[in-house]
Amino acid sequence: MSQTASIELQGVDKEYRRDDFKIPVLTGLDLTVAEGEFLALMGPSGSGKTTLLNLIAGLDRSTRGKVIVHGQDLGDLSEAEITRWRAHNVGFIFQTYNLIPVLTAFENVELPLLLTSLSKRKRRDNVMTALKVVGLKDREHHYPRQLSGGQEQRVAIARAIVTDPYLLVADEPTGDLDRTSAGEILDLLEQLNQEFQKTILMVTHDPLAAERASRTLHLDKGQLVDDKVREARVPAAS
Amino acid sequence: MKYFTYILRNVRRNPIRSMLTIASMSISLFLMMILLSFFAMNDESTSAARIYNRIVVMNANGFAGMLPISDLAQIREMDGVLAATPFSWYGGKYKDEQMPFAQFGIDADTIFTILDEYTVPKDQLEDFKKNKDGCIIGRKLAEDRNLKVGDPLPLKGDLFPVDLDLSIRGIYDGDINRDLRMCFFHWEYFDEALKRTAMAGASSTSLAGDSGRRSGNAGTIFVKCKSADVMAPLSSKIDDHFRNSDNPTRTQTEEAFGKMFVEMMGDLKNTIYWIGGAVVISLLFVAGNAMAMAMRERTTEVAVLKAIGFGKPLVLFLILAEAVIVAGLGGVLGSLGCKALCDFVDVARYSGGFLPFFYVPWNIALTGLAVSFFIGLASGLAPALLAANSSVINGLRKVV
Ligand SMILES: Nc1ncnc2c1ncn2[C@@H]1O[C@H](COP(=O)(O)OP(=O)(O)OP(=O)(O)O)[C@@H](O)[C@H]1O
Ligand SMILES: [Mg+2]
Repeated sequence: MSQTASIELQGVDKEYRRDDFKIPVLTGLDLTVAEGEFLALMGPSGSGKTTLLNLIAGLDRSTRGKVIVHGQDLGDLSEAEITRWRAHNVGFIFQTYNLIPVLTAFENVELPLLLTSLSKRKRRDNVMTALKVVGLKDREHHYPRQLSGGQEQRVAIARAIVTDPYLLVADEPTGDLDRTSAGEILDLLEQLNQEFQKTILMVTHDPLAAERASRTLHLDKGQLVDDKVREARVPAAS
Repeated sequence: MKYFTYILRNVRRNPIRSMLTIASMSISLFLMMILLSFFAMNDESTSAARIYNRIVVMNANGFAGMLPISDLAQIREMDGVLAATPFSWYGGKYKDEQMPFAQFGIDADTIFTILDEYTVPKDQLEDFKKNKDGCIIGRKLAEDRNLKVGDPLPLKGDLFPVDLDLSIRGIYDGDINRDLRMCFFHWEYFDEALKRTAMAGASSTSLAGDSGRRSGNAGTIFVKCKSADVMAPLSSKIDDHFRNSDNPTRTQTEEAFGKMFVEMMGDLKNTIYWIGGAVVISLLFVAGNAMAMAMRERTTEVAVLKAIGFGKPLVLFLILAEAVIVAGLGGVLGSLGCKALCDFVDVARYSGGFLPFFYVPWNIALTGLAVSFFIGLASGLAPALLAANSSVINGLRKVV
């Protein structure tokens, strides 16, 4: 089965405006990501990695060019539509976990499900399944401050996967973690990619983290300058 | 409501700040309730008098004028009159109290037929009728001053040059929103005392021009009508009847009569409404500031919610709900709390005789509650709109 394009960028420009001043960040970017790929995005600070991630995740809009994700041209969606689209299709993982401090692990994971019409019982089932995947079933009543950084990030991952989106975006997910915890998070992402066929886009500064990905992209001065396909880890076609 | 947990946790997130907001809301509303109730209660209790079918006759020139006691017999003869009594203000001082409580010279045989919202034990009423120096006082007046049936009640004349040595023969009771702090004594007993001083010539010079303070004056006459429809025609009939006498009358319903007293405080009422308005505005700032601070601390969190898929309307709702809950809690404590407290504790007792009774009417308490909800909505609106429209990427970029 040939790989279907999961993400497609065609001639994407992104510039920020500050007063009358235009700051070009991405210029004429083309990119194709196959479904089920685990992509690492590297590059120096300020090169536009987060910006690119935001475009693909539907958080920001390109100045020029098309961003098509899973067959949907994001430029065609209104703001309300793109918000709903994110709820269904994208799971977010942040460097600083960004859990809601006043909610328990369970409630944090449940948050995206509140937007659905699922019954309370069904929500509970899904949350517990997600917590089980990340290995924190027994921590459902813990608040974020009662968890270690690695555990917080795992709760965040459970929150990202609980709605079963097909794209996960992770902006330096291991940036705040020690080696061991970082390793566990990467194991988990790898598992999500291979077992659950999630397409994953991960920004990282850590070459060891990038090793885990099936492909690594380098972004520099607004351009994708290097595109190494690691033959050994082509995703299993489903 | 599946979002309720999150909203409530946010309310409790900074307990001190929420408590301070709730406290300032409830204290201000509490005071506002007291001020507003003072007028609303007077309005309400005078309006409530409507159902008793009573009209009040007074001298057309006001209280200083004379209303001859001979008018009483003529009024009693008229069609539609069930009963009529003189109702003469005495205003004597009890012991060293500065503020006189309400004391009226009345007709013992008819007074409780006319003021039939009050109840007196039969034997006490009979005892009162038999004793010329007897009086019947309200339950709360008795409680305030520790008075019992059989106790003497000496009153020192203030407006009138006579002292009355009354003895308590009965205690009347009634609803807590009726005046339970009056004293009723025999009009004849009062009048005889006035006659005696007049004959002795004492003070007669100083009172020469003031016909209202001489003997033979009924003060006002309270008339109980047979039905509500006769009140208006009977009032005109009475006034027509006495139009060409020495002392023309002015007859009005008890409700209108009561409103005359409330209207005397008209300016005060406006002042209090202005103060109320100022309080609402300052509460808006207090609550708005608290909410704005809360939202500033949650910039990233709001961005995360929106990234996850929470739409603008939902974000707006979550924040407004939080603001309304905080302000509403203050409103419940301040307005309903004030009502509960005033129903439970007899505030009038501590007014030094200024208020015969005090309660917070339901419409005032509910207005207070509605005001608190309004303050919640209005104070939450700006922070909620800012948060709902804030940029997700900037919120996520912000270092925490
Ligand atoms: N909202 C904005 N307004 C103006 N300039 C911006 C804005 N967001 C990002 N930039 C600029 O765009 C460029 C790329 O930023 P971006 O955050 O994408 O870089 P990055 O590769 O993620 O960097 P880092 O590794 O430090 O996270 C930077 O020069 C940054 O200053
Ligand atoms: Mg970045």
